[in-house]
Amino acid sequence: MQNFSYYLRLSLHNIKRAPLPYALTLMILSIGLGVFFSNATLYYWMNRDPLSEQSHMLFFPRINAVEQACDSCLTPLRVLSYKDVQKLSSSAIPSAQAGMFQSGGYARVPNTQNGPTPVTIRVTQRDFFTLFNAPFLHGQTWADNEARMELILHYNAALKFFGRTDVLGQQLLLDGELYTIVGVLENWQMLPKLYDVNNGLAITPVEEIYLPWETAYNLGIKSNSTTQSRDSRNYNENFAVNGREGEFYQAQFWVRLDTPAQQAAYRQFMDNLVASEKEAGRHPRPNGNLLHNMLDIAEAFNERNRQLDAFAMVSVLFLLVCLFNASHLSLNRYMASQFEFSLRRALGASRLQLQGQLLTDVLVNGVLAFILALLFAVLMLLLINQLLPATSALNNWQPGLILLMFGVALLASYLVTVYPAWRASYSPLNQQLKA
Amino acid sequence: MISIKNLNKAFRTELIETQALRDIHLNVSEGEFVALTGPSGSGKSTLLNILGTLESFDSGEYLLDGQAVQGLTDRALSALRNEKIGFIFQSFNLIKDFSIYDNIELPLRYRGFSSAERKQRVEQALERVGLAGRRSYLPGQLSGGQQQRVAIARALAGSPRILLADEPTGNLDSLMARQVMELLEQLNREGCTILMVTHDPEQARRAGRHVQIVDGMLSEATVYQPLAVNQ
Repeated sequence: MQNFSYYLRLSLHNIKRAPLPYALTLMILSIGLGVFFSNATLYYWMNRDPLSEQSHMLFFPRINAVEQACDSCLTPLRVLSYKDVQKLSSSAIPSAQAGMFQSGGYARVPNTQNGPTPVTIRVTQRDFFTLFNAPFLHGQTWADNEARMELILHYNAALKFFGRTDVLGQQLLLDGELYTIVGVLENWQMLPKLYDVNNGLAITPVEEIYLPWETAYNLGIKSNSTTQSRDSRNYNENFAVNGREGEFYQAQFWVRLDTPAQQAAYRQFMDNLVASEKEAGRHPRPNGNLLHNMLDIAEAFNERNRQLDAFAMVSVLFLLVCLFNASHLSLNRYMASQFEFSLRRALGASRLQLQGQLLTDVLVNGVLAFILALLFAVLMLLLINQLLPATSALNNWQPGLILLMFGVALLASYLVTVYPAWRASYSPLNQQLKA
Repeated sequence: MISIKNLNKAFRTELIETQALRDIHLNVSEGEFVALTGPSGSGKSTLLNILGTLESFDSGEYLLDGQAVQGLTDRALSALRNEKIGFIFQSFNLIKDFSIYDNIELPLRYRGFSSAERKQRVEQALERVGLAGRRSYLPGQLSGGQQQRVAIARALAGSPRILLADEPTGNLDSLMARQVMELLEQLNREGCTILMVTHDPEQARRAGRHVQIVDGMLSEATVYQPLAVNQ
């Protein structure tokens, strides 16, 4: 400890000796790290596994069930129809399953002066909350998948409409329909929102209101994201009366398959389903069954954000250039200290003791560079959020991420320091000490 | 104290090889004051550097205080320098922006002494060279002679077995040079073994023993009446 405090004092003394070259070195290192941190933050959020305990068990099945014949159409649509979801739901293999789609509307508390407020809605089934680990603060999910005028609120929505969260049994008017609140979620987020990747909505917040699937079809509620209609009649009018039976493709369907055996069995179920449909004279297109795991979903729907990938690559290259430049400046600084290294060695410092000094330099540089780099990273994230507004949800730093960035700053500082210091400390002793 | 047999050292470049030291034999006993003289480029500083383990040698044998130097690890060599050798350089080699106290304390830091012991040793060394009141001065605030006395204090603070001095008065005027020589003589009288490189015949004569080096070869020039130990 005594040695460390001495080394620390020497490190600070060395900075004071040549503040300008040191500031330049630190600035270059910090800019490189700051750009890297900002892009690494976005990259981390876009590529992390939001449900690490169960993501390997969550799957998105797709069947090629469009009713128009097309022998060359091998790939299913990105979305499913109500009928597709019904057919897939007939399997007892999954331990949980839910059809769903995103919608939007206007809501307000009845018998108040407050005007309607726009809200995001997820139309879904009871297992949604189990599938994606959405925890309840009050109440619980619906008892079954039947239609009912009951909704579940997100924590933020409860606060937005009522200013509190214990609102079970309260009513909410949504697009003119009166619903009873049966559950309030905790302040839950899922980032990236992998259940909505096929709609390109992976970095949007989770929805504010959750409505029962059958109720939504009863009321003619449509998706506000990817939707396909293969019916030539007026879409809005037709959907309202024929949403379940018509060729309206708007739904996602997720299943939980706990074991590889269940996964194989489910694939077999899908094949059997298509075969029986074909026997019944339906499913005119080729069997194009797909079962995507949640972690592969972005690639499967080609929704991986290539811009962020490119930014990440550029930021790594930029960091390398900065490391090289900072190392060059650092070399000049350390070569100017060659005499002192040699003197210390002559007076009895071992190379190990000098390494202790160098590692303290690395720590001091790392800490200073880390703090400055965080400031640069904040500025960079603000700039990126301006250029790519969709990334605004991704600039959050968790303690683990900050710790990782600190580790990167220390490593960068070590790389910038180690070669110059090694060069300076290994010069012939007698040459530096001559008159 | 020092025993050298058949020691050779050459400097090599891609084109030429220069034999700096040839077949050197030298024995220095405890308490001796040896002056090493010779013309420029004769190899006297090279020999001093080898004795101080600042430079390696090609062949031969070197025993310092009975311990073979060749083959020692970096850590062992550093400890040897730190505990047994005190260096006095021609250009003082003080760290300019360190106080006198910090300069003298430097080798003690690597010895593992406690803070209290370092303080005691630094104070004693400053007292011994007559600079007790200048502990917080910077080297640039002292005269050349005073700076060399600080360098001597730094060398003495660790209680070394031998002092190696490379032209210790080379950068000093005659008055200051005399003061530094008197200090070295006094240290020798107190029992300190000293090996000093000098080109000044007068200073060589003040040492107890004078060896000459010419073209890398050593010859015993004169053995003066040795100064009495602990006089």
